[in-house]
Parts: sequence; C-alpha cells; structure tokens
Amino acid sequence: MSRISRIPNLGGAKAFVLHRPHPNVQAITRQLSAIGLDAADCWPELPAEALAADFVFFDTDLGFDEQMPWPAGQAPMPLIALIGSEAPGRIEWALSQKADAQLLKPVGNAGVYSALLIARQAFEARRRLADEIAALEARVAERQTIVRAVTALSAQGFSDERAYAQLRSLAMGWQVNLEDAARRVVAMTQEEGSDDQSHRA
Amino acid sequence: MSDACRAGALSAIAAVNQDAACPLEFVPVERDPGGNIDRYAAGCADILATSNARHIIGCVTSWSRKEVIPTLERAGGTLWYACPYEGFEANEHVVYMHACPNQHLVPMISYVAPRFGANGFLVGSNYIWGWETNRVARDLIADAGGKVLGERYLPLGETDVSRLIAEIEATRPDFILNNLIGTSSYAFIAGYAELARRDPHFGPERCPILSCNLTECELSAIAGVGDGHLSAGPYFHDPDAHAWSDTVSASMPASSFEASAYASVCALAEILARNPTAQWTDLPKAFAGRTFQSPLGDIAIDPQTQHATLPVQIGRIEGTAFRTVSLSKGIAPDPYLSRYDRNAEFGRPGLRVVS
Repeated sequence: MSRISRIPNLGGAKAFVLHRPHPNVQAITRQLSAIGLDAADCWPELPAEALAADFVFFDTDLGFDEQMPWPAGQAPMPLIALIGSEAPGRIEWALSQKADAQLLKPVGNAGVYSALLIARQAFEARRRLADEIAALEARVAERQTIVRAVTALSAQGFSDERAYAQLRSLAMGWQVNLEDAARRVVAMTQEEGSDDQSHRA
Repeated sequence: MSDACRAGALSAIAAVNQDAACPLEFVPVERDPGGNIDRYAAGCADILATSNARHIIGCVTSWSRKEVIPTLERAGGTLWYACPYEGFEANEHVVYMHACPNQHLVPMISYVAPRFGANGFLVGSNYIWGWETNRVARDLIADAGGKVLGERYLPLGETDVSRLIAEIEATRPDFILNNLIGTSSYAFIAGYAELARRDPHFGPERCPILSCNLTECELSAIAGVGDGHLSAGPYFHDPDAHAWSDTVSASMPASSFEASAYASVCALAEILARNPTAQWTDLPKAFAGRTFQSPLGDIAIDPQTQHATLPVQIGRIEGTAFRTVSLSKGIAPDPYLSRYDRNAEFGRPGLRVVS
C-alpha cells in the first residue's frame, strides 16, 4: 500500500477561477500563486483548457450550468464554490455542481490552502466510492450468470453445493472473481452446446 | 530570543540613523507583551492606533504571529517576522525574514541522512512548531529511505525527559530531531549527554541531535552538554566560515535572530527611503527584482510569498558558538514545499539487486 504523503504536492498544479473580474479574484489568485499553483481567471465561461485543470473555483452568486464544459455534477476535478450570498437557491445550485469545498466571499488573506486540500481529499474519496459502487453494481448484475454457471456445472452430476464450490475453486485457479469465472463457464458450456449441434448436423 | 531580535532591530535603527546617505530617521515605538499571548494583539493595535508606525518588527512564536495577524489586517500594518517558523503561511501583512522549512528542515535532513543514517526519532513540544515540523520530517525521513523510530511530545515547560531518553535508548536511531522549545529542550539535551556517557552510540559523532531553531542565544543554557550537535539556520556567528577580520567579527550580529531583525530594518529603510509612505500594499512592488543589503548578505524577498531568499547553513555546536559545516547561498523560499522533489533531495529510491 502506498504511503500517504504529508507534503501536499501542489506545485505547478493548474487552477481556474470562474468569477467576474473583482478584487476577490485577485485575493484568490494571489494566494494560489503564493502556494505555487498556476492560476487563471475567466468569465463567463470556462475555456476548453479547464478540462485539464487540477482545481476549479466557481462563483455561486452568478453561476449557471452552461458555464461548465461538463454536465452538472460531473466535473472531472475538485470544485470549490465561492459563496457570497447564502441564498438557499444559490447553495442548492452549488450543491448540484457537487462542490467539494467552499470559500466565503469576501476572500481575505487565507482560506484558499485549506479549501484546496479539503476539496482534493473530498473529490478523491467521492471518485473512489463511485468506482467501488460501479464495480459492485457490475458484480450484482452478474447474479444470473452465476446461477447459469452453477446449473451448467450441476448438469455434470454434482449437487448445487458442490457445483458452487467448484465454481469458486475455478475462480481461484484462474485468479479471477466469481462473476468472471461464471461467465467463462457459461461461455464454455455454450460452445460445447454449439459443438454438439454441429456434430449432429 | 526576543532580546536578540530587539538588539538586532535597535542596532540597525542606530546604523540607519547614523548613515548620512540615508534620508531617514527611525524612531522606535516599543511594546513588550512579556511573553503573555493575550497581550500581542493589543500591543500591535496600540502601536498602529497611537503612532504613525505602519511596520512592526517582532513576535517570536508562531502563536504570537497568528495572534497579531487579524489586527494587522484590520489596521493595515505589516509585521516583519525575524524567526524561523514551520511554513505553510503567506500573509500579505507579514514579511517572513527568517527560514521556512525548505531553508531549515529539508537541508538538515538532506545533510544528515547520507552521513549518519536515515532512521530518526522525533521529539517536540506540544505546540504548532513541533507538530508541523515533525509532520514534514516524517515524509523527508521516508524519502531518505529511513524509518521514524518514535515520535514523542512534551507539554510546554516540561523538564522530565527520562521516558523520552529511555525510548531513544531502546530504539537506537541514527539521529534525533529536536523540536522541543525552551527549558524542555535544555533538559533534553542535558539528559541525552548523560545517555551518551553510558552508551557511546549516542555521542554526537554517531547520533546527533538536530534542531532547526537553535541559535547562539540559547547555547549558554546548554553549555557543556550541547557540543557536537547540529542546528540549521540562515546565519551563524562563525568568523572562519566567512573570513571575517576581528573588527568585522565584532560588528556582526551574534545570532540569526539578531541578523534577521537587523536585515528587516535594512530592507525597510531602503524601501522607505524611496517611498516614505510605503505600506503593505506597496511591498510586493518594492520587493520585485531587487536585493537588500544585510548581515545575511544581499537578500531578495519574493514578492509573491513575502519570504526572504536566504543562505542555508548547518552549524555544529562548539562551546558557545557554532562551527559552520555546510553553507549554501541564495536558497529561494518555498513555504508550502510546492517545489519539493524527493528525487532531487535524496536521489532516486535505490533499486535493490535481486539475484
């Protein structure tokens, strides 16, 4: 397992600040440059290069979905909401973007560093969970395949229990998960079936 | 330490006032919070409210610096901070004139790991300096290929170090990183010297104590027990390392605290000589593209982070002085360690031959 680095490696990271020209933007870009990031501001749209950015700060007061070159809530990098008005509708919109951290306006001399670290950690945790859920969903979707594999193996004269145990030992032998092993077994029995048919022909 | 900073600032003020070529006269306005943490913000507010001073030279601990920042922000003042600190800060109202981690801790571990070994034991006072410095040290030690054999904290002011010493004796590290402060640090260094008498492994030539904030100011408190141990800083009063004559040597600051406070006044004088009303908003422009003469050499101040480019020295304690064992000039500040590169610092991770 890799060690968690305590020295946050932010040097040379690219950050976009999506906000109309304003002293708040200067306060943010000053902090970003001091921390060692490469900062750019833009308004009213994020340019295409923003897709390769490491962080995006966005304005919640005047922001809208079409500013972002991705569907709402699917940003490929950590997002930090810049909140001025705490109107519930605006916060709801920031949440729909799935902001990973927030920074209250007016922005002073501090706050950007903790927002960066919190956003990165939250984004990575969210992405890891999403990957894990996708993998689990894929496995759940294979339930029927497992039933078919067990049925195919028990057709060779085993009890269901022994057929299942055999499927597990096949999976271990092939070093794949149970679902993949089941898919292989099903594919093999299908092949055998079609072979039989060709013999018959 | 605060006396050293004050001495440095006052002697620089005297030098500026005597300099016929300098159109300025500085009048110091002093407040002494006496180490009471609740009096720093009040003293700072008082200076900014009752005098026309906009620049304050002071604070030793990070805690006191963090206490005065809100006051500086409200009143538009600037703090020239002349002490080493743990980094990860870049406030527009502070000019950081002493070393940050890439100018003390990183070069210290890089110097020590290849010479003494990379396994360390971390000690510190229960306080922001110890916590943050040891936290970064954990990464550096791992990058150097070593292990952290222990990490222990003592309450501020604690002088019972027996358990700490016993743990160090049991784990036998290659070095000890000492982030204790004040009396705890002196008690620890004395206790460690006693351990070295029992077991030569713990002599400074085999397993040194490393500090990143120890200067000449504190050597009298550890006289006779500190010899051979190491400290990192931008300056040591070592005439041989700089080829100073006796006269020059006598005129040079006694420690890096004094030197940094002196340098702060020098830089401020140069800035105010050009623009007598310069305040915090003018500083980044005033720092851009130039250097300031000081006892630390000609130093630049990074306009973005307001941290000084400084020499980095490693000094070995000899009585009440340091002998410089390593000196690198012009190390640019990197307070967030954004440019830290483990391969550049410690070489690529060794590939083991598998036969």
